Amino acid sequence: MPLIEIKQASRGFGSNGTRTEVLKNINLSVEEGEFIVIIGYSGSGKTTLVNLVSGLGHADSGEVLMDGKPITGPGPDRGLVFQNYSLLPWLNVTENIALAVDEVFPDWTKAQRVDHVAKHIAMVKLSHAAHKLPKELSGGMRQRVSVARALAMSPRVLLLDEPLSALDALTRATLQDEISDIWLKNKTTVIWVTNDPDEAILLADRVIPLLPTSPATLGESMVVDIERPRDRKAINHDPRFKKLRAELINTLLDAKGKNKTKSSRKLVLPDILPEDLTQVNTLQFLDRRGPKRRNEMKLEEVEVTA
Amino acid sequence: MNPMKKFKLDSILLPFIAILVTCLFWFVIAGKSVTTEKVDEFGDKVKVTKREGLSADLPTPTETWKASKLYITEPFAKRGELDQGILRFTWMSLVLVAQGYFIALVIGTPIGFFLGLSKKFTQAFDPIIQVLRPVSPLAWLPLGMILFSGVKIVNGDGRTTFGASDAAALFTIAICAMWPTVMNTAVGVRAVPQDYLNVAKVLKLSKSKTLWKVLVPATLPYMFTGFRLSLGIAWLVIVAVEMLTGRPGVGGFLWQQYNANSYAHIILCILTIGVVGYVLDRLMSLVESRFKTA
Repeated sequence: MPLIEIKQASRGFGSNGTRTEVLKNINLSVEEGEFIVIIGYSGSGKTTLVNLVSGLGHADSGEVLMDGKPITGPGPDRGLVFQNYSLLPWLNVTENIALAVDEVFPDWTKAQRVDHVAKHIAMVKLSHAAHKLPKELSGGMRQRVSVARALAMSPRVLLLDEPLSALDALTRATLQDEISDIWLKNKTTVIWVTNDPDEAILLADRVIPLLPTSPATLGESMVVDIERPRDRKAINHDPRFKKLRAELINTLLDAKGKNKTKSSRKLVLPDILPEDLTQVNTLQFLDRRGPKRRNEMKLEEVEVTA
Repeated sequence: MNPMKKFKLDSILLPFIAILVTCLFWFVIAGKSVTTEKVDEFGDKVKVTKREGLSADLPTPTETWKASKLYITEPFAKRGELDQGILRFTWMSLVLVAQGYFIALVIGTPIGFFLGLSKKFTQAFDPIIQVLRPVSPLAWLPLGMILFSGVKIVNGDGRTTFGASDAAALFTIAICAMWPTVMNTAVGVRAVPQDYLNVAKVLKLSKSKTLWKVLVPATLPYMFTGFRLSLGIAWLVIVAVEMLTGRPGVGGFLWQQYNANSYAHIILCILTIGVVGYVLDRLMSLVESRFKTA
């Protein structure tokens, strides 16, 4: 049985009249231990899709199942990493993670919990900043805390909603490698959402495009059969990488192209002549140099005697 | 010129000039004592002192200083129930304000939280709050007197230590000062970023933990803005309350000195009230800035 299963789910927002369907015919099945990357354009409904699984949102129709049981709300078995980190700014790194740990493992002794928190801070290489507030950390460090917080809950599934989009390219690369290393060690099931095809192929076992049709739906999944650990420098020259990348981008672009519908619209050109800059500005009203309306212009006949 | 130096000079020099100009204006409109000698109907020379000027009864700055000197140089002296050093009066007022203000916060903050958290609660109580909010302290005080007319705490030697007027004073300060706290807390709770609430949901925090670990810290900056405004209002109200109840304090002193025709002391009181209000506001904004989270 797959760990996560979405069957024919759809989701829309707004009430009658202004309602827009965001997702339709979503079918997804994620096996235990899989690293799934869902890729799509900004605003195509990726967050809505993640929220179906996290439980922050719900499907209007269809089913979202975990272990065959419907997901009714958020829970610590699904660790969520937000795009904007969402650390509580009044708690330091340790406290932010401890908040999660204390809640999820209330039966543990205090020492066990402190240990668990420290272990996860070390895992994301932030032991030196354990007592810093989020505002004292860089974006990359904040996102590491967020990852550590999600992992510290020992979730069955780790959901990452565009976790690295707010970071600069170099930091993003470092974090991709780090998170990928962590995943190789503990093999948690991961659903990672991104808008970066390179990131998708570098990290995933399976890449699934979210096609920007309206409403959006999931495309054919592509298996990435490049062996791990993947070296980001070497992979650029791997023909399998190149082929997958081209295929992925084509799929997304094609879907976007198909989405465009032809429509004809009447264009009305502005009834105005541009300012005549050669003319010297004077105080005379009638002869102002500013823009003129064509329909206001009158022909003047002047007799010229030779 | 070094910009830093210029800034410092400006921030000292310019206010100083403004104060000087204000004092000059005060001096110009104030009344002056003019002594004229004239011959009365019996043929005697008599000196007649009259006050003249735009506002004849308004004392000049120097007269104000002379009359107030004793109260400022001996700020804690107690010469009689209604004749005490200015800081002694200020202290009495501050104690009353602190009590009323405390009540305002203790009642106002939870109301603000309920308003912010529950749409139904807002819909139900918003009209009442909007109607009660603009009511003047002068209107609340008589109601307080009626409400607490039975209150009387007598100490060992038979003197009333806490009577109806004390209760009414506290009631008035509390109900007037409460609103900024209520409104700001409500706005703050509504403005808690959805992200933080999502975190609480994903972690499945309990209701009380969500309140204390997420909602309260996220609302603190707003709450403190409310607290600051409330303190300002509490200090405004105290003068009116003391005037009406005749309690000793800066406001009571002001009213009593008006009745006693010593107008210089009114100006002393006004300046004291202003300075104390300013200091309180500064102190609160210091506290407020400490609680400014990201």
